[in-house]
Amino acid sequence: MAKEIFMPKLSSTMETGTILQWMKKEGDPVEMGEPVFEVMSDKINIEVEAYEEGVLLKKYYDVDDVVPVNTIVGYIGEEEEEVPETAPEEPAPEETSQEEEPKEYADTVPATADANGQIRATPAARRVAKENGVLLSDMEGSGPKQRIHQQDVYDYVQAAGEKPKATPLARKRAEEQNLDLNTVEGSGPGSKIYAKDLTGSGQKTTGAEPGRIPVKGIRKIVADRMAESASTVPHVTLYSEVDMTEAIRLRSQLQDKIVEETGYKLSYTEIMMKAVAEALKRHPYLNASLSADQQEILLHKEINVGLAVATEQGLVVPVVPRAGEKGLTALVQASKQLAENARNQRLQPEQMQGGTFTISNLGMYAVDGFTPIINQPEAAILGVGQMKETPAEENGNVVFRPKTTFSLSFDHRIVDGAPAAAFLSDVKQLIEAPYELLM
Amino acid sequence: MRELTYVEALRECMSQEMRENENVFILGEDIGVYGGAFGVTRGMIEEFGPERVRNTPISEAGITGSAIGSALTGMQPIVELQFSDFITIAMDQLANQAAKLRYMYGGKGNVPMVLRTPAGSGTGAAAQHSQSLEAWVAHIPGLKVVQPSTAYDAKGLLKAAIDDPNPVIFYEHKLLYKTSSEDVPEKMYSLPLGQADIKREGTEVTIVATSVMVHRALEAAEVLAEEGISVEVIDPRSIVPLDEETIVQSVIKTNRVIIAHEAVKRGGYGGEIASMITESEAFDFLDAPVKRLGASPVPVPYNPELEKAMTPQTEDLVQACRESLQRA
Amino acid sequence: MLTSVELLPEKSKDDLIGLLKEMWTIRYFDEKVDEFFAKGMIHGTTHLCVGQEPTATGPCAVIQEDDKITSTHRGHGHCIAKGADINRMMAELFGRSTGYCKGKGGSMHIADVEKGNLGANGIVGGGIPLAAGAALTAKMKNKDDVILSYFGDGAANEGSFHESLNLASIWDLPVVFICENNQYGMSGSVKEMVNIEDIAERASSYGIPGVIVDGNNLIEVMNETHKAVEHAREGKGPVLIEAKTYRWKGHSKSDARKYRTREEEQFWKEKDGIKRYRDLLIQEGLLTEEEAEKLRKEAKQDVEDAVTYAEKSPEPGLDTLLEDVYA
Repeated sequence: MAKEIFMPKLSSTMETGTILQWMKKEGDPVEMGEPVFEVMSDKINIEVEAYEEGVLLKKYYDVDDVVPVNTIVGYIGEEEEEVPETAPEEPAPEETSQEEEPKEYADTVPATADANGQIRATPAARRVAKENGVLLSDMEGSGPKQRIHQQDVYDYVQAAGEKPKATPLARKRAEEQNLDLNTVEGSGPGSKIYAKDLTGSGQKTTGAEPGRIPVKGIRKIVADRMAESASTVPHVTLYSEVDMTEAIRLRSQLQDKIVEETGYKLSYTEIMMKAVAEALKRHPYLNASLSADQQEILLHKEINVGLAVATEQGLVVPVVPRAGEKGLTALVQASKQLAENARNQRLQPEQMQGGTFTISNLGMYAVDGFTPIINQPEAAILGVGQMKETPAEENGNVVFRPKTTFSLSFDHRIVDGAPAAAFLSDVKQLIEAPYELLM
Repeated sequence: MRELTYVEALRECMSQEMRENENVFILGEDIGVYGGAFGVTRGMIEEFGPERVRNTPISEAGITGSAIGSALTGMQPIVELQFSDFITIAMDQLANQAAKLRYMYGGKGNVPMVLRTPAGSGTGAAAQHSQSLEAWVAHIPGLKVVQPSTAYDAKGLLKAAIDDPNPVIFYEHKLLYKTSSEDVPEKMYSLPLGQADIKREGTEVTIVATSVMVHRALEAAEVLAEEGISVEVIDPRSIVPLDEETIVQSVIKTNRVIIAHEAVKRGGYGGEIASMITESEAFDFLDAPVKRLGASPVPVPYNPELEKAMTPQTEDLVQACRESLQRA
Repeated sequence: MLTSVELLPEKSKDDLIGLLKEMWTIRYFDEKVDEFFAKGMIHGTTHLCVGQEPTATGPCAVIQEDDKITSTHRGHGHCIAKGADINRMMAELFGRSTGYCKGKGGSMHIADVEKGNLGANGIVGGGIPLAAGAALTAKMKNKDDVILSYFGDGAANEGSFHESLNLASIWDLPVVFICENNQYGMSGSVKEMVNIEDIAERASSYGIPGVIVDGNNLIEVMNETHKAVEHAREGKGPVLIEAKTYRWKGHSKSDARKYRTREEEQFWKEKDGIKRYRDLLIQEGLLTEEEAEKLRKEAKQDVEDAVTYAEKSPEPGLDTLLEDVYA
């Protein structure tokens, strides 16, 4: 019996979702827990994973289609099974979808909102939110029943850094118009942006004038650091194609157990992190940095792996500390919480410090390989591309294997090509035969 | 400065005033050679004689009514009502006469009287001799209501009450009579009604406490200070008129407020203060629910443990502050 | 001055004629108020003292200007007898700013504290302790003021009556308690509510004199009050006077008077104290029929003028709402 794939309701305020990409074509086999498509809601982007295994029988919507929540977007089932030719019109009953809403999604819904979408917050929190032009729905509360207190708002505002001041209405409008508030000049006190300020800016961006985006806040930090790294560090990038077959198997075998223990799903990122951490133990020069006076190479005892995370505000790199000592369960726990904090702009500064190696995963995009820029002062960074079925030779036959391209950029001042290549080879081997990780 | 007990401060105030002001006299039950049920007027009849320290029959309505009549015609009587529970018997005279005469008569006639009366539990006097009914009188426009918590305040507030041209209900507390202040000036002084006193300054949570609760609030603040929590204690001193500004400003500063009184919480004056806060500028600064502490809705029990359990104690205040700060 | 009866307080011819006019004024004032209430021209409620004029006029006629009174909900007569301006009284009933209470008191709360009227009172027996207190002031300030405390037969069953009589007695206060026994506390007949023949008997419980007078006989009311006031003024303590009288009209504006017979009302109306006093003055030769008629019409006209004054008076501004709660 074919199973529907729904547009999930990812937050209490989400009414529609935009399909960003399909990871599967019609006819592709789908494993349970495998991402099927990626959706953008009013708050977040998220990969929607299959709850069934089988074949993607049908997809009714294309990339960029805006689909109401709880609408059937496709079917997974047995090959040759019959499903409707066109999308069923009635959105599926809410109950069904809620039942099937995975916990991971539920956690991304602002917990402060009650069933009616009312937000529990103290008057002081509301005042501070209003003064700072931030939305209570964007933050989580520390009080009883997740009530948002004044300090929560201060924390949020601080995390948001130089995020422009704007009224909630302006923020909502900007979101609707896909307009970056950084491009808008506010007419209110302290350059606070009102909804009316958006009109001019909106036109500006569509006119001959280029949109002007101040380089500040996280954008500025990223800009400075990348420029410095690219101009001072002699980068070399190595590529390697990695067969993910065993990693996929490992993931599906461990999935239930890890969900049970952590409430989070195991993703490939954590398997890669585990493999990288293991390989770094064998290759200390890749887990190193240059001293400030460039007179010494510091070989780090701890393996702290940073994860590049794209947020609305820009790139942030939360760090999973002592990744080398953690099993997969602990890695899932740590990295999922960091990613969540990053998305909610609740990362603490210390959670972004002390990294010794970085992984940048662009696998959700149609990217094969790239030249990642090293997150200084680290010695190397691993870029991960999309997984795709790639022809391979097996016993004289051509077979298709799920493969991902790994791109390793390293600092040639610290390490040479051969040891770096040896490291990447070890990573590849650990991913392709992940049981070695148990050794 | 001199250390004086609450009782001595009250007596000194009345005596000094009566030496200066012929219009002031005291009337009440057993206030003569007996010296009053709690000894407040002890020795006064000897100095001022039975005309001005007027021992009355047990007629609370009659005593109160005649005090009102004498006030209306130029005297400044001080009624000592033996237990504040007996205010029920005098209530018609207070609520329907004293409070309303001036307004009903279109602004003619003043009733410059003080009704002093001991309230509160903690003495084992049980249900009919331990109540705190200040909210009853605070509800009546035309009356003023004072609740001194220290000997120093008692003297200065009583002076202000005597000087006030309106009927003032002056609530003393039985447990406070023997407490003392170290700094009660001998020279007469007046503490304006409607001016709260910040008994302790703090930054994280405000306790608005009246009468005996002021002392428990200060004890609680001491305990919490050891935990690194900074508590501000505000004693309104008079609940009518109420110094709203001091309370509001404190809440704006601390973002959190606990209101504590000994009276039964239901319908107690704490509800009025809480509402005032939420209606005020302070609303937008509240970072935790306004919390009230008051007595359980039961008649005051006799058994000492039950009696204690009925009213908020220091530990209850400590806990309320912790909860307000989410450090419970 | 009078030859057929003895009058203890000294009164001139003009004084005696003035008392007749005053009683007519009281009657016409309350008749006019009755009319207005019936027509819905005045709101709230009112209690009329038609038929009780001598018990209002008599006692006030024998006291001095500094002496004081406390009154009752049925107090228009007491108020006029104590010298109030009927223009301002009528204005108060109309709720106007020129009224005695600036429109805030109405019928039941007319007071003129400066003139010694400590106020009508809406609480039955409410004024009695106030009178004791005012008397206490007089005593403590060594003034020779006397306080008259008016109340009805109903108030004699209130605790305030008993407490105040006792207080006044033990402290020898200069107060004269005047119980206007008009036979009914609203609908409650005094015969049902009191198990003694005369309320005056209660005086003995407090060790003070109790006196019974015919409330329709102005001369008798004046004489007995005069004696009581002198007694009190001399520092001998209070006196309780019970004046037997009758209210001709219902308790208040909506009273069908089912609790009494029309025959009983007729019986009392024939004892009309105003007519008796008018006849006495004519019989004594102090007044002709024509002069009496002229006087009556003057009283009636005075009330009409009061109505005109009240109608022309401004309403109180809403900004006065919060005034005078506290001094």
